[in-house]
Parts: sequence; C-alpha cells; structure tokens
Amino acid sequence: MRILEVRNLVKVFGGLRAVDGLDLTIDEGQILGLIGPNGAGKSTAFNCIAGVYPPTAGDVYFYGEKTNSQKPWDLCSKGLARTFQIVKPFASKSLLYNVMVGTFSKTRKRGKAEEKALEVLTSLHLYAKKDMKAANLTIADRKRLEIARALATEPKLLLLDEVMAGLRPTEVDEMVAIIRALRDRGITVFLIEHIMRAIMALSDRIVVIHYGRKISEGTPKEVASDERVIKAYLGEDYGVS
Amino acid sequence: MTRENLEKAFLALVLMVVFGLPLILRSPTYLHILVLLYLYAYLTTSWNLVGGFAGVLPLGHAAFFGIGAYTSTVLYVQYGVSPWFGMLLGGVIASITGIMIGLPTFKMRGAYFALATIAFGEGMRVMVENIDHLGPLNLNGPRGLQIPPLNVGLANLMFINKEPYYYIILVMLIAVLALTYVISRSRLGYYLNAGGEEPEAAMSLGVNVARCKLMAMAMSSFLTALAGSFYAQFSLFIHPKSVISLDLSFEIAFIALIGGRGSIVGPVLGALLLRPVSDFSRIYFGATLPGLHLIIFGTVLILVMIYLPRGLQQPLTRAYQRILNRLAQSPR
Amino acid sequence: MLFILEDTINGILMGSIYGLTALGLTLIFGVLKVINFAHGSLLMVGMYAAYWAVTLSGAHPYLTLILVIPVMYLFGYYLQDIVIKPIFKAEREVREPITVIIVTTGVWYVLDNLTLLIFGPHYRTIQANPLRGKMLEFGGMLISVPKLWGFFAAVLTAAAVYVFLQKTRMGRAIRATSLDREAASLMGIKQFKIYNIAFGIGTATAGIAAVTLVPFYNVFPSVGVLFDIKGFIIVVLGGLGSIGGAILGGMIIGVIESVGPQFMAATWTEGIVYGLFLLFLFVKPSGLFGVRYDW
Repeated sequence: MRILEVRNLVKVFGGLRAVDGLDLTIDEGQILGLIGPNGAGKSTAFNCIAGVYPPTAGDVYFYGEKTNSQKPWDLCSKGLARTFQIVKPFASKSLLYNVMVGTFSKTRKRGKAEEKALEVLTSLHLYAKKDMKAANLTIADRKRLEIARALATEPKLLLLDEVMAGLRPTEVDEMVAIIRALRDRGITVFLIEHIMRAIMALSDRIVVIHYGRKISEGTPKEVASDERVIKAYLGEDYGVS
Repeated sequence: MTRENLEKAFLALVLMVVFGLPLILRSPTYLHILVLLYLYAYLTTSWNLVGGFAGVLPLGHAAFFGIGAYTSTVLYVQYGVSPWFGMLLGGVIASITGIMIGLPTFKMRGAYFALATIAFGEGMRVMVENIDHLGPLNLNGPRGLQIPPLNVGLANLMFINKEPYYYIILVMLIAVLALTYVISRSRLGYYLNAGGEEPEAAMSLGVNVARCKLMAMAMSSFLTALAGSFYAQFSLFIHPKSVISLDLSFEIAFIALIGGRGSIVGPVLGALLLRPVSDFSRIYFGATLPGLHLIIFGTVLILVMIYLPRGLQQPLTRAYQRILNRLAQSPR
Repeated sequence: MLFILEDTINGILMGSIYGLTALGLTLIFGVLKVINFAHGSLLMVGMYAAYWAVTLSGAHPYLTLILVIPVMYLFGYYLQDIVIKPIFKAEREVREPITVIIVTTGVWYVLDNLTLLIFGPHYRTIQANPLRGKMLEFGGMLISVPKLWGFFAAVLTAAAVYVFLQKTRMGRAIRATSLDREAASLMGIKQFKIYNIAFGIGTATAGIAAVTLVPFYNVFPSVGVLFDIKGFIIVVLGGLGSIGGAILGGMIIGVIESVGPQFMAATWTEGIVYGLFLLFLFVKPSGLFGVRYDW
C-alpha cells in the first residue's frame, strides 16, 4: 500500500528554489532514506510533507489523500509524525509530561494518557528517567525523547530528521536498533541522515537529493556506487576509476 | 499520616480558616480589604489561564473587567435586570471579545502581542470615556455610573453588610482555583503548556496551538468579566478610569508574574503578599510617601524576574513540600 | 482652510518631536530586540534633569544639552548593564526575552514613583524661559518657535544617528549585532557592550527630546507615560528599527493630534491613533519602513 507519494514538489523561498521538482514514493512497512549534501533541500521537503508550510507547487499524498495545505496537527491525527533536526523538548517539563502531550492525541483521559506514555517510555528504555526534567537530559536521550514523543501519537508514518546527528558510535548503533524495532511494530519510516553507515544499514531504499531534485534512487548498494551521487558529495572533479 | 492525607488536612484547615474569618474579624474595614484581596487573587488566577498557561503576556485584561462591570450595571440600573444575569451576559460578551482580540494577535510575537493588548484595553477605555449613550444604553462617559443601594438581597447581589460579599467572592475564588487545577491536569492544560513552550513541536504532536490559546482566552475573559460585575455591585460606582484602566491591567499581570505565572497557587500567593503591602503603604505612607507601594512593586518585580523567574511560589512551594515530607515521615 | 494648514504644520513639528522621543525606542528594539517600556520614564528623567539644570544655573534651556546628553547616556548605559543584562544572560536561548518587557515595566514604575516621592506631583515649568510662547509668523499662520527648534533637533539627531550607524566602526558593530548577535559575537564584537552602548545612545536621544520639550511642556512625574505609549505606536507605524520611520511615524501622529480636533472631540483622536496602531499591527506589522523580521 502506498503510504506517501510526493509528485513534483517545489518549494521556493524568495529567490531560492529549495526544492525543485522532487518525486518519491514510500510503501507501507518500508524504511526510506533521504540523503544529499548540505542544503540540498531535505529538511524543506520534510517540512512540506509534514505541513509546516505548503508547497509552492506539486502535491503530497498521504494514503492517497492530497494533504498539501493541511496543518501539522491534522496530519498527526491521520498518522503522520515527525522529529526535528534540532530537538525541541518541552525543557521545563518531565519526560513523562513530554510524552503525555503525544499520547493525549489519542485519548482525552489523563489516566489513559499517562498509562500509554509510560509504555512508550519503557519501549525506548527511558522509563527510569520518566520524572527527570527534559532540560537535564544528554543529547542522546533527548533524541530518544524526541522519537518517544512522536511515537506516542501512534503514527503510521514517522519522519525522522537527522536523529543520529551528534551521537557517538555506540549511541548510533542503539538508535539503529530502535528504528528497526519501530519498523517491526509496523511503522513506516522515512529518514534523513548524514551518518552513512547507519542509513545504509537501515534503509530498504534510498533517495538522493541534490539542489532540490532527485538525482538517484535505489537500494543502498546501487546508490553507493552511482557515479552521480559520488560526484554530488565529492565534487565534479572527482573521477571514478 | 500519609502525604496525601496531610495535604488534604492542610487544605481543610485553610478552608475552615477562610470561611470562619468573618466570624472573628467583624470590622467592615478589614472585611473590605479581604474582599478586594480575594478579588485580586481571583483576577490574577483568571489571567493566569492565558498569561501563565498559554505563555503570552496580555496587558489589557481590564477591558474584560470593564465589560463585565458595565454590562451588569447598565442592565440593572436602566432595566432592573438582575446583576446575576448581567454578570453572565457580561461574561459571554467578554468571552466573544476575547476571542476576537485573540484571533489576530496570537500569531504575533511576544512584544507585539503585549502592545496589541494594551492598545485594545486603552482603545476600549477611550471609547467608553467618550460615549454617553450606546444606542439606548446610557454609559455616562467619564462620569461613570452609580448604583443606588436599594432592593437589598441575594437576587440583586446587593447587601448592606460586607459578609455576603466576602463569601461570594471567596466561593468565586475557590471555583476558579479548582478550575485551574482541573485544567492543568487535563489535555487542554498540557496542550497549552506545550504550545507556550515549543509551539512547533506541539503542533507536530497534534496540538492546534492557536485554538487552545483561544479557548484559554475565552475562559479567562469570561471569568474576568464576572469579577467586574461583582466589583460593580460591591463598590456601587464604576467609571472608565477605575474599571478599564491600564493600571489595573498591569497590576493584575504583575501580581501574577511576581507570584509565579503558570503555577496554580502563584497568582494567589502574589495577591496575598503584594496587596497587603500595597494597602499598608497606602494607608500609612500615602500622605508622606506617595507612590511608595508602586516603588516596592516595581523593585520586587525586577528582583523576582532576575532571581526567581518562576515567581515567589517557587521557594514557598518547595518549603511547603519539605515541611509536608518531614511531617509525613515522623512516626505516628 | 488656513487653520488646517497651520494645524498640519504645527502637527508635523510636534510630531517630529514625538519621533525624536521614539527614536531611542526603535534603536533599542532594533539592536536588543526588546521593547523598552521604561523609555517614557527615561524621557521624564531627562526632562527633570533639563529643568533643574536651567533652574539652578539660569542658562538657556538648549544649553543644558551639554549636561543632559552625557548624563542620559550614562544612565541608559548602566541601566542596561546592571538591571537588564542579567535577564539576557538568564534567557540565553530565547529569541525574544519577554521577561525584559516585564523588567523594564518595573523600572518604569520605580522611576516614575521615585520621582513623585522626591519631587512631588507638581507641574513645573521653567521660570526664566526665553522661548515662552514665542511664535513665528509665516504667511498668516502662527508657528510655535520651540516646536520649530524641536523639529530641527529631531531631524539633526536622526541624521546624526543614521550617519553614526552607517559610517563609523562602532555603528557598524551595532548594526551587525542587531542583524545576528551570534555571528557578530563570533566576529569579536562584545554583545553586551554593544547593548549597553545602544541603550545609552537611545537614552541620550530621549535626553535631547527632553531638552526640546522643557520650554513648552509641563514637567511632572508621570509625563513619560503619554510619550511611552505614543512611542510604541510610532515605532510600530514607522517600523521597528527604522530611524526615518520613527520620525515619519511621529509626524503622522502629530498631524492626527492637531488636525483631528478640528473635526471631532479631542479624545476621539486618541481612539483613532489606537485604531491606526492596531491596523498596522494586523496588516503590516513591520511598519512603513520596518526591517524585515520574520513573522
């Protein structure tokens, strides 16, 4: 089942064409990776899909429904959740509180929301820290909290924006395991990442974006040996022998 | 005794004291001071729904106070309608006005929002000061409206003694505190806090931040208007400078801020601590050192903002928790 | 018809003085990104300073500039350094520290009431006033001379501040900080020093405005309040951070205030000013010449 379809997405900011005709599709149960050099338009594409701002042109379809100008909170109730590249925890509140904001999207009752939040925290090994203030967390835990919150909204599609940035190698491995577990639970994952070994290991398919357009698509292996991709990352003068 | 039971006992004690106070303090002057104290505690707690929970800085709340005061007064003085009904109607009008104000202004950044609320408040005051008649309704412009103290009784919210007023405002205060408590533990409360702290993250988690703020504003303005009607019936005279004044808007905001906005008891604590200071310095120093209470206000405000940004309730609540813990541990 | 022209001209002159009072406000906002609610009180302090300087020395009011400008500069500099800087430090990550608004309001309360306490509520005017009631006749119209001087002072000060910001090293540092404080500090510009200086300059311009006002405006403890609120309105109309906008915005208010009463009760003009203010806030919050500020 096609869960997400992006057709000819364009996003223009003033004079800058951040996204310039992007196409991609994701099927249910997949893990799709999005890579590209800095400034290629990855986060912008995410934001368009997640409803932060509407596309200048092109369409976004979520479960076959056109969702171009829908707001993030409506998309959330439909099953689309996301994390932020620069984490935004509710710093003055406890982890439990943070996650409860997410679980409240599925239930009005406080008791139930708390119950579900504790479950989510447990599944991400954060239960022990449930009463800690989010401001006091390490960066690795903050990233986990970010995922926990998004998970609390019971999404069908989860957009992860550079969740591994700033993590140490062991933490990266933990994160890879967490994301794999998400897929096992039936969540489709769409992730932006710079840490190559992680995204190569996780993704079923990878889309490479450069100057706002797709320049390559395929399995991790195919993409890694695609000359266009290598040139995009390392420059035009790099020849492949 | 368990912690929980101790807290309940403490609460019961406080309630007994406040309900029993008029039996001990018979002086009308003291009762008058207490009525105003509770009124301010009520106002700051209502303000807190928007200023504390929603995370914005409204500086024009006196406008809602004035709407309540004028609605019930005009209806009562001109048409003999019961102030209770006028109170409710005033609340509804204020609520609608609050939503109308909130719709365009909640999108604005902090400082601009504050300025916009000031402009609304002052704009309303100017309007009422300049209009003598609004259609068939007599507003009497800057001269204000007086309420003749006839038809005493509960039906008309009119009493000769201060005691009934005391109890009414006390009940109102308790109700508003209970409401704040319930909201803080509800979905709306969580959403308001989230939206105030990190709006983008909140939105991605399903929070319609703007709508939540508007709900908070609707409630806050409704409640504030009720107090306006109460005040009108209590003091029997209202005019724009007293009920729609910038000073009142600022005072409400500052007491709440000093007490600790965003918390449940903060605003009440603020009122409890600052109003007596204000009253005393006015009574004892009013002639020799005018404006002393405002100097104290301003200084306390500055100091609290720098050193205790969560308000005076922070150290006080911590001390209270410690005492409770200590008592709960001691063998019984 | 001539009355309207006369009113308009006097409105423009008075308005330029309003603009001058708002100049400091817009500068402080442009650089620190905070709205200084105490600005009116600073103006009041300047007026008292000028008043006492004249009364005690018998000098010509405008000569007091020599004293008032440095005094006000230092006052503003240290006010920012001692009272406001701690808030900035406490709210490092917050883009727009709302708490600063609250603190500046506290400063307003303290200053106004301290003045009330010390000097009493009396309305004061300078006794030996060489400019009292002086009018210039021009084509059948009477133009107020002190307001005319005020106009020149406003335009000159605005030009001087503009040139300072554009051409001098310090001015460029200030502009850099206002555009991106982090980048500027990475370039070696001491952020808080810039804030202090900007606050000092803003307060000094209020001092200049105070000196031009003293010859024809009453001096009393809460005189700042009217200018404070007008100042915000002007600054939004003209565009936060825009110097020319402040002067122009002031002139608009000035004209409304002097021409308006010809057509309606004077108190209604106050309402119109608020209405215009709200209109701009909703429709064009960046004002006439505002610096682009992402909304």
